[in-house]
Amino acid sequence: MRGRRAISGWLVVLVALHACVLFAGFFAPYDPTEQDRGRPYLPPMRLHFLDNRGHFHARPFAYALKLAEGSFDQYEEDTRRALPLKFMVRGANYRLLGLLPSRLHLFGAENERIYLLGSDAYGRDQLSRFLYGGRVSLFAGLLGAGVTVLLGLCVGAAAGYYGGWRDDLLMRLAELFLALPWLYLLFALRAFLPLAVGPLEAFFLIVAVLGAVGWARPARLVRGVVLSAKERDFVRAARGFGATDGYLLRRHILPATSSVLLTQAAILVPQFILAEMTLSFLGLGVPEPVPSWGNLLSSLQQYSVLVSYWWMYLPALIMLPFFLGYLGLGSELQERAEPYKIER
Amino acid sequence: MTAESHETSEPLVRVENLVKHYSKRKLVGSVEEVRALDGVSFSIFRGTTLAIVGESGSGKSTLAFCLACFEKPTSGNLWFEETSLSGLKEKDRRVIRRQIQLIFQDPANSFNPRWSVLEILTEPLVLQGNLSRDEMHPRAQALLEQVGLSSHLGEKLPSELSGGQRQRLGIARALGLRPKLLILDEALSALDCSVQAQIANLLMELQASLGMTYLFISHDLAMAAHLADEIAVMSRGQIVEQGAPEEILTHPENRITRELLAAVPRLDLSRPPLAES
Ligand SMILES: Nc1ncnc2c1ncn2[C@@H]1O[C@H](COP(=O)(O)OP(=O)(O)OP(=O)(O)O)[C@@H](O)[C@H]1O
Ligand SMILES: [Mg+2]
Repeated sequence: MRGRRAISGWLVVLVALHACVLFAGFFAPYDPTEQDRGRPYLPPMRLHFLDNRGHFHARPFAYALKLAEGSFDQYEEDTRRALPLKFMVRGANYRLLGLLPSRLHLFGAENERIYLLGSDAYGRDQLSRFLYGGRVSLFAGLLGAGVTVLLGLCVGAAAGYYGGWRDDLLMRLAELFLALPWLYLLFALRAFLPLAVGPLEAFFLIVAVLGAVGWARPARLVRGVVLSAKERDFVRAARGFGATDGYLLRRHILPATSSVLLTQAAILVPQFILAEMTLSFLGLGVPEPVPSWGNLLSSLQQYSVLVSYWWMYLPALIMLPFFLGYLGLGSELQERAEPYKIER
Repeated sequence: MTAESHETSEPLVRVENLVKHYSKRKLVGSVEEVRALDGVSFSIFRGTTLAIVGESGSGKSTLAFCLACFEKPTSGNLWFEETSLSGLKEKDRRVIRRQIQLIFQDPANSFNPRWSVLEILTEPLVLQGNLSRDEMHPRAQALLEQVGLSSHLGEKLPSELSGGQRQRLGIARALGLRPKLLILDEALSALDCSVQAQIANLLMELQASLGMTYLFISHDLAMAAHLADEIAVMSRGQIVEQGAPEEILTHPENRITRELLAAVPRLDLSRPPLAES
């Protein structure tokens, strides 16, 4: 029972995190592609309750930033210009869930843009880019994990249930897929495609690649479960009552693989998000200006960014709760994965 | 049933020279052959009980699996109502299988742990497919009642039942298809004496009322003698002695039989074995 509560706990955390990303239009103060060329690499603004004379303000505020004297990229707080945080403000147009047109944002500031996570080379708001980018990356991860697990289920169930030469063939194929040097095949594949692909094509290419790489491991796990499930006495008994293969798979054997599949899916999602980052790093991801988590971090390739603008690392830090959520859920599911454990 | 009436009626099951070898692949090189059954022959007549006793590993479960068509014999012949089970097509085999039900040695293992008692009980009825949904429920209730389980157990999971209740559930499920032959593989071994006696009585009642035929597998000679019309003693995949219970108990000829007899605690032949006291 403790396990079940832990699972619902992780699920609540994950749902909350995903809601932020799903309703990015509302939670993000700005359009992720909107540039402010005059303010590149702005450090994150700090929120204050106390002003510089020590007065308390119930409404949090940030100070506008100005260039430090004698510097061309060091900013400091301009204590004469406070930017009070306003809630439920009207701002950039967006479509809620891609459908409902709206201008309502959770927060914003008047007169000047407020950058809670800083800005990038084009003065785009990193927080907005993080939230919008999460849509692409999480969706790619989830879809990739779904495709992978489904492929793994089909292959693993066929191999485990029918056995014999089909088993041998499929398992050798799985081993082959585990042993391939994927990155270089990806380069080769990319070389065949036109230089500039649209964001949508790039997205589905990523999902297809992730699915193709990942299926072998879930397939092997499913095969193991199916192999042991089909020798169970209750499966034999059902066969004795005149059950067909289809019935046995549907009613007894595939349900037994569900916890393995869920566990695998939960573990694969963060793996695939990280894979999307690798692809973006190599320039094989979703093209700019569409934000993705991979794109957000890929600017760290430049040495100058790496050493001068620490806040460009922040997105990686904020991703951690997402990853930890999935991995935590995965290990809780794994605890329960023993498919026929008798609870006493 | 006496020996004379055997000759007049046809046997329900006939087994002739049944052989089953398992090959175990060793890590290196050679394949090791396990002779689980090594030439077994017997017949079971309608409405009677044949008990198979033997020590652990003598091939009893293998015999049950071959009879219930879960394992393919290496060689030898099996007849059920004069139909040979050897060269049977899958479809015909499915029809015959329903008439031979096996109650597994390990009842915890023979129910889907995620299913409720009611789902487990109706599964054979659903698979048989000639009952409507409305008829299914009363039928399941009747089966529960038949084996003396209360009907409010229907929503429980098998893991929530006691060992004895599980064993009865197994019997109830097997009875659902009205099999002609019921194979009980150590069905009573895991239970305590009073529950054993209850279920044994239930089996005898069913035999009297429905004319069931049993193959009763056990390593407990006393229980076998109590239930069976005939006892066959198995050792190392062969039947080493066969005969009426009284004969086996009073004049055991084989060393294996004597060893099994010695294992029976305080066997007092003047009293009916296993009467509840
Ligand atoms: N699937 C199998 N693969 C390999 N060997 C097997 C297999 N099943 C049974 N055997 C072997 O066949 C022999 C007979 O096994 P079986 O299960 O029929 O014994 P049993 O008489 O039922 O024993 P018990 O009283 O312990 O249930 C044993 O030596 C066993 O190791
Ligand atoms: Mg056995």
